[in-house]
Amino acid sequence: MDILEYAWLIPVIPLLAFVIVGFLGAKMKDKGGMVAILGTAGGMVLALWVAFEVLTTGRVFEVSMDWVILSSEYRLEMGVFLDSVAAMMLIVVSLISFLVVIYSTAYMHDEGPRRHRYYTEICLFVGVMLGLVIANNFIQLFIFWELVGLCSYLLIGFWFERPSAASAAKKAFLVTRVGDVMFMIGLFLLFTELKTLNFNLVWDSLETADAATLAFAGFFLFGGAIGKSAQFPLHDWLPDAMEGPTTVSALIHAATMVNAGVYLVARAFPILTTSGEVSLFVGVIGGVTAFIAATMALCAPKIKGVLAYSTVSQLGYMILALGAGAFMWNHGHEVAASIAFGAGLFHLMNHAFFKGLLFLGAGLVIYYVHTEELNKMGGLGKYMKVTSITMLIASLSIAGIPPLSGFWSKDEVLAATFDAGDINLTFALLWILGVATAFMTAFYMFRMWFMVFKGQPNECSKDAIEHGQHKHEAPLAMLLPLVVLATLAFGSGFCLFIGDGFFGSVYYHDAHILGIGERLTEVFTSPLTYISIVAAVGGLLLAYFSFFKTKVSAEKVVAKGFPKAMRQLLLDRYKFPVTYDKIGYVGLYGFSLLLDKFDRYVIDGIVNAISAFLVRAGGVVRKAQTGFIQSYTTLLLAGVSLIIILLYVVGALR
Amino acid sequence: MIPMEYILVISSSLFAVGAAGVILRKNAIIVLMSIELMLNAANINLVAFSSYLGDARGQAFALFSIGIAAAEVAVGLAILLNLNKLRKTVNVDDINLLRW
Repeated sequence: MDILEYAWLIPVIPLLAFVIVGFLGAKMKDKGGMVAILGTAGGMVLALWVAFEVLTTGRVFEVSMDWVILSSEYRLEMGVFLDSVAAMMLIVVSLISFLVVIYSTAYMHDEGPRRHRYYTEICLFVGVMLGLVIANNFIQLFIFWELVGLCSYLLIGFWFERPSAASAAKKAFLVTRVGDVMFMIGLFLLFTELKTLNFNLVWDSLETADAATLAFAGFFLFGGAIGKSAQFPLHDWLPDAMEGPTTVSALIHAATMVNAGVYLVARAFPILTTSGEVSLFVGVIGGVTAFIAATMALCAPKIKGVLAYSTVSQLGYMILALGAGAFMWNHGHEVAASIAFGAGLFHLMNHAFFKGLLFLGAGLVIYYVHTEELNKMGGLGKYMKVTSITMLIASLSIAGIPPLSGFWSKDEVLAATFDAGDINLTFALLWILGVATAFMTAFYMFRMWFMVFKGQPNECSKDAIEHGQHKHEAPLAMLLPLVVLATLAFGSGFCLFIGDGFFGSVYYHDAHILGIGERLTEVFTSPLTYISIVAAVGGLLLAYFSFFKTKVSAEKVVAKGFPKAMRQLLLDRYKFPVTYDKIGYVGLYGFSLLLDKFDRYVIDGIVNAISAFLVRAGGVVRKAQTGFIQSYTTLLLAGVSLIIILLYVVGALR
Repeated sequence: MIPMEYILVISSSLFAVGAAGVILRKNAIIVLMSIELMLNAANINLVAFSSYLGDARGQAFALFSIGIAAAEVAVGLAILLNLNKLRKTVNVDDINLLRW
């Protein structure tokens, strides 16, 4: 039996759970929680098995069938495509979703009957994301992509009675829609140019296609990723998406939604490589996003806010690595390019694990103290041992302290960017931004960690500790996923030493086969590694000193003058939301006003004029209706005679 | 045999007389009778062409037409009778309720 033949079942099992929970969940005692766990577990087992098969044998598997035949030239298909990228995504998505669903059974326990809706939507979310991963063509990917967007809308707006949640859901939907439109334009360009959307066929026919069209197609496809993966300038929806339940944030940030964008860029990577300009653009967007999101995280007041900005920033790293890779490939450095490509996806995987962990941990903290404000927490370390230790691991990992996973992948990303800097100076600048981001990442993560777990308990955490509503830290169903994810966040970086450096051979078969020893020597003899370690440790120490030593107190620094203005600017997220609102208000509302005037005076004017004319004309013509039968008869006779005469004149009667 | 033209001239004059009656006379009964004249002008044409072409179908049509005319006259006279009962008049100029 070849397990890959059954890979299509991976999304089907959670979707089956979606149908079952959707129709029968309301009657179940746990509102479908068990079915959701079983569904995601089934999907996960199959996904892990398939991923194991693909990764160990190095096979590339594809089945495909015609779906819609538009004409003999243009046809859409449906199928399954599995390579090491898809396998990695399958592991990440299925594993994290499974853990999140287990965690949800405890976290959402107080929601009562609404859990039914929650489980239904979660199952759909997981199912469509798995379907997105195994798609073998861009249109199938797009369909699942839209469904992922729909699910995130539904889940972000789970507490729809809160206006903030409802508007956050709308924002997430609308902002990603901007990207989706670009994605569609990219698809149309690609389809008309290459007459296929199948991944393999697209990759094979790039040589013969028109370079300009491909560049535009690549640009617009990347536009889709900008929306979905919350890249600058469409990054603004992700911090707002914190309005959903924390489990949903964990799912969106670690397993599903935002990874879809990076995955799309990975699938469109060969298209991007055809154009140096577009890949440079990709890199710049990634680097800028990483940097500005990190700055916004520096003084974010809410625990989930810090994590949300850090997600945006880390996604920027991934996009930066992919952009650098595409750029280097375009300039003929194919080995370095595949290392960069691998680095981006490697970071995606590591990020998924530690960010999933961070969100689930943050969920526990919020569950414990009933607030999200960082300065109302503090001193929780003694009472939440498992949470504080697992979150410490995740924070060290994301900060890039060796030997945790974040260190390896971030180092790879920065090294790849630095390599690309040899060809184009822009990437050298982006590398500097990247190092600065690494420094800030370490700072804000530890700022958050210290504020939550160290120091004196502030109002909310004091309440929680003293009144002791919680005898235990948390139910086992919430702690267990944390421990599993902590293990992965600690260890997933060592994948670098398996085989040929994880992804080296996805698009380029001779890339980068190094033994463990060589790889370690390479990493630790490079000065770049030490620069990123120094940046990370520096950030960590700065966080430590600003928290424990009052001399460099953050409050004093930002008390007045430029730092204060800067802080306010960061709190306002560089005025992005305000600006977008303004654009929305002025642009959309102004345009609507214009249309309103047009409708009122032009369209209505025409309609009213026609009716007024008809009313008056009727008034005139009705006078002919005298009621005298003989005048009708006369007119009738005259008319008939006239017609006959006319027919005779034109010759019809001759 | 009488030439075709004569018969056609007769029938069209008959039709014209009928039409004039319909348009000009004010008594509704006379109007009705004038309509009969016009009908019969058409019947003459039917019969004339029937014999001219040696085809009996025209005469059959004429018979139909006469039958229908009889029915129509019955209906028309009934209406006029009722009208006379209600309005005490059969002058078409007085019957102009159906107007703007």
